Parts: sequence; structure tokens; C-alpha cells
Amino acid sequence: MSKQAQAARLEGSRWTPYLFVAPVAIYLLVFQGYPLLQELILSFTSTSLLSPADHAFVGARNYSDLIGTTDFNQVLLITAIYTIACVVLSIGLGLAAALLLNGPFPGRGVARAMVTIPWAAPPVAVALIFTWMLNAQYGIFNRALRALGFAVGSENWLDNASLALPAILITTIWQIFPFASVVILAALQGVSEELRDAAVIDGADRLSVFRAVVWPTIQPSVMLLALFITIWSLRRFDLIWLMTQGGPIGATNTLVIELYRRAFVYRDLGQAAAVGMVGLSIAILVTLVYFRLTLRAERAKGQR
Amino acid sequence: MTRSGSWSHGLRMLAILALLGVAAFPLYWMFVTSMTPSSELFAPTARLVPKPSEIGVYRDAFHGTSVTTWVRNSAIVAVGTTVVSLALALFPAYALSRFRFRGMGLVGFGLFITQMLPEAMLVVPLYAIFGDLALLNTLSGLILANSAFTVPVITWILKGAIDGVPIDIEEAARVDGCSRLDIVLGVVLPLVAPTLAAAAVIAFFHGWNEYIFAQTLISDQDLRTASVGLAGFVGELSTPVHTVMAIGLMYTLPAVIFYLFVQRYVVAGMTAGSVKG
Repeated sequence: MSKQAQAARLEGSRWTPYLFVAPVAIYLLVFQGYPLLQELILSFTSTSLLSPADHAFVGARNYSDLIGTTDFNQVLLITAIYTIACVVLSIGLGLAAALLLNGPFPGRGVARAMVTIPWAAPPVAVALIFTWMLNAQYGIFNRALRALGFAVGSENWLDNASLALPAILITTIWQIFPFASVVILAALQGVSEELRDAAVIDGADRLSVFRAVVWPTIQPSVMLLALFITIWSLRRFDLIWLMTQGGPIGATNTLVIELYRRAFVYRDLGQAAAVGMVGLSIAILVTLVYFRLTLRAERAKGQR
Repeated sequence: MTRSGSWSHGLRMLAILALLGVAAFPLYWMFVTSMTPSSELFAPTARLVPKPSEIGVYRDAFHGTSVTTWVRNSAIVAVGTTVVSLALALFPAYALSRFRFRGMGLVGFGLFITQMLPEAMLVVPLYAIFGDLALLNTLSGLILANSAFTVPVITWILKGAIDGVPIDIEEAARVDGCSRLDIVLGVVLPLVAPTLAAAAVIAFFHGWNEYIFAQTLISDQDLRTASVGLAGFVGELSTPVHTVMAIGLMYTLPAVIFYLFVQRYVVAGMTAGSVKG
């Protein structure tokens, strides 16, 4: 019997599903939908944080003031670099970790638990310890580099315009790669042992086995993971804000940081809302592209 | 085992050890820093192991700062977020799994889009709404704000798990005269318990870690959460580094230890949900 038919048979009253969904729908409309609508309206007004009640409609001026300016292009560029680096590096490292932890070895349970520690650490605490580790004189990174004979500057990593973004990335990747490795490790359990053995008997080397047997199995999970890491990286706030506040000279100024600065430092709620809407549009666009790609991939598989 | 086999085995173990070192080092370093006297923290060579006689820093942190109040508030918010999220997510998850109804796609889309909304964007309008609802400066308000971000994810995970529950079990209960409510709470709920546990952990950590809402929606000192209390020390110079690290560890360690105990269930629960999803 089809799932639909089974579901229909279970149907009590046609109102039951709505009754089940209604509380959450109302809750999310109040705490997410309505604020989102407010932001959308704000983005077309000139509103100050100091007197949020008076706002004058200014049409699309908040948007036209942003789009195409060098400052905002820089924000978009930093956001793109940060997001892409987060996706590529955390999945790369997560995949390597998952492959390492996959087969049997002594102490596997402990190792698998330990590798997820960064994921369980609160971001504020992570910002605190990494800021200390990245200190110019007393931080362990520079101490280690000096011990290895490198000449290191007297500037903190986070105060240096060319080191701040890499430092933020190191911190972020450390925090999120365990999530990627847990998801990929779970996906690896679906890899057919028989196919793998057959490939090995046929004389395939490791890389070919990975490409022919392992990758096709874990690819859907990795794709979904990439989507989620993209979306989460686009909205990550605490780590970056606490470590650099977007500085120095905008080197770590992602869209969300720019949004927060405009709202709470420059007190311009209209501009801040416009930045938020641009960010949201990018996230929706990425999601649509993702679903298009997966749909096409599924169709291609079906035709084979 | 051949010689090259044992070689690659040795290399693999070495790589695993390096991986674990990378994962654990920052927290170890937090511990070492907290147990190092100021004079040695700023010495030319670093102290690599904790100094046991420095344990007093933890007593000072307990008495000299509000860290116990902060951690207690974080615990209240975390537990509250867990309870509210699970209570709200169960029924819509069931409905999305078992019914076909008009507007279902819209509900699914609505749940997904919440994942894209940055907290930093919603915090301004939420502040105004909280003012109207008299929720500013209350931990229950903070719980409601946090749960709005966890409910969609948890609904999704639970739906995946309920999809895996055979419908015949429910039908048998129905023949016995159980109401739909009885079925969800008495039949389905126990069967998805592992996933429910995983979802609970996700909600708990969200509440425990959350920073921006706690920073903006709470101004009362006594209601501060640990994330906000600790954030006040990042980049601040008047409090000794080892005291700050001690406070950081008092906030981090309970979460990490709790996580190490439950991680097995989290991974199992998430896998059970996602494999079918």
C-alpha cells in the first residue's frame, strides 16, 4: 500500500494535521515571521536606534547606498572568502578525520568521542582561548613559531590586517570540522563492503576505490553538509564579533558583522536591515541553486 | 601483517593521535593557562603543564566573580530551551510525517527558511516585541527566543525518525480505541526516544551557548548568562588572564563532560533520523 493511502486511512478528521501544526506555526510567526517582516519594512525606512518609533520611508535608498560601493563590495568579498573557506576546509578536514576514524583500531570509541570536543565547546569560550593563543608575545602560536626559528611580528594575529581572517578561519574550522566528520562518518557506514572488496581484488588503488565506491555513497550527505555549513557560516556572529568586531580595517567584516555594526555602532536600523536582507537573499539563492543541482544529479542517476 | 601494512598502520595511528591533539589542545591550554601564575604567563618561555599550587584561582573565581550565578542562569536557559523545543516540535513532526495536507509544503519551507535568519538581524525587532510582551529581562523570554531557532531543526530531525516507525503499530493501537493523542504520546514517542534524546542535546547546547540574545535582551546583572559574562572578559585587560581562563573552563567543562557522556546517543539518534530523511 502506498504511503499516501496509508496516511489517508489514518486520517481522523481533516483538521487534525492543522491542529498539530498550529501551535508551532503561531509561535514561529510571532518570534521569526513578524520580526522578519519588521526588518523588511525597516529596510525601506530611515530609522535610528535612538528613536526607533519614528521612521521616514525612503524607498530603496538603503539598498542603492549599499550596492556597488567599494565598502560593501569588500564586505561581500570577505563573506564569500570566509564562507567558501569554511565549507571547503571543514569538509576536507572532516572527511580526512572520518576516513581515519572509520576502520577498527584500539580505542576507537574514545577517539571518536574526543574528536567531537570542539563542537561541544561554547563559541564564547572558544573566542576567549583562541584570542589568547593568537597573542603576539605570549600566545602559543607565536611561541611555537619562534621556537621553530621563524621571525614573527610583534602584532597580535587578530590586529594584523592580513592575518586576522586566517586566524578567524583557523578558529572556526577547529570548532566546526567535528560536525562534518560525524556526519561523514555516519554516511561512510553505508558504503558497501562487497563493492569495496571487489574493487580491491580488481587491483584498484586507494584513490580509485574512493572515487568509484566511497564517494558516490557519501556524496548526498556531503552535499547537504555543504549547504548547512554555507548557511551557518553566512550567519555566524559570536566568534567573529568577539575576536575582531570585523576589523582590522574591515578584514573580517562579514555581512552579519556589518549588519550588527550598522545597527548598534552607527545606530542606523534602516541600513542594517538592508544589509540583512541582502544576506538573506544570498542564503536563499544558494539554497535554490543547491536544490536545483541535487535534483539534476538525481535525475541523471535515474536515467543511467 | 606485511611490513608495509604495519607501517601504514603506524602512520594511521600517528595521524589519529595528531587529530586528537588538535581537537583537545585548546581546552587543555585553557586549563594550563588557568593554573599558571601571572609571572610565568608573561615569561619568555611558556609553561606547558599546569602548576598544582595554583588551584586557588578557582576558589578566587568562585568568590570574586558572579560565575556561579552566570552558570546557573545558563543552565536554566539551556534546560528551558530543551523542554520548550521538544514540547513544541513533537506534534508538527508527527503531522509532517503522517498526514498529507494542504499547506504542508509551506510549513516545510517556513521551517527551512528559519535556518537562514541570522540572530543579529532579528534581535532589533525582537527587542521591541519583547518590550510589548513584557519579556525583556526575563529568562523565560530568552528561552522563547532561543527555542524559535531550535524548534525547526528538531521538528525536522523528529520527522525523519517518525518516518521510520512502521504505521501498522499505530493502526493496532487505533483498533484498540486509542485516540490520536494517545498514539503520539504512548506509541510513537517511546519508539523515537533515541532521536528525542539527540534533539534534546542539540537544544540544550543551543541554550547553553547562545550569546547575542542573552547580551541584548537581558540587562539585569543577576540574570546574566555565562556566555555574556565571559564575553565581557575577551580582550579586556584588568582581570588576570588565569582568572578569566578559570571562569572560561568553569563554563566550558560541564558542557564538554556532559557531551562526552551523551555523544554516543546523539550520533546514533541523528543517524537514525537522517538516513531515512
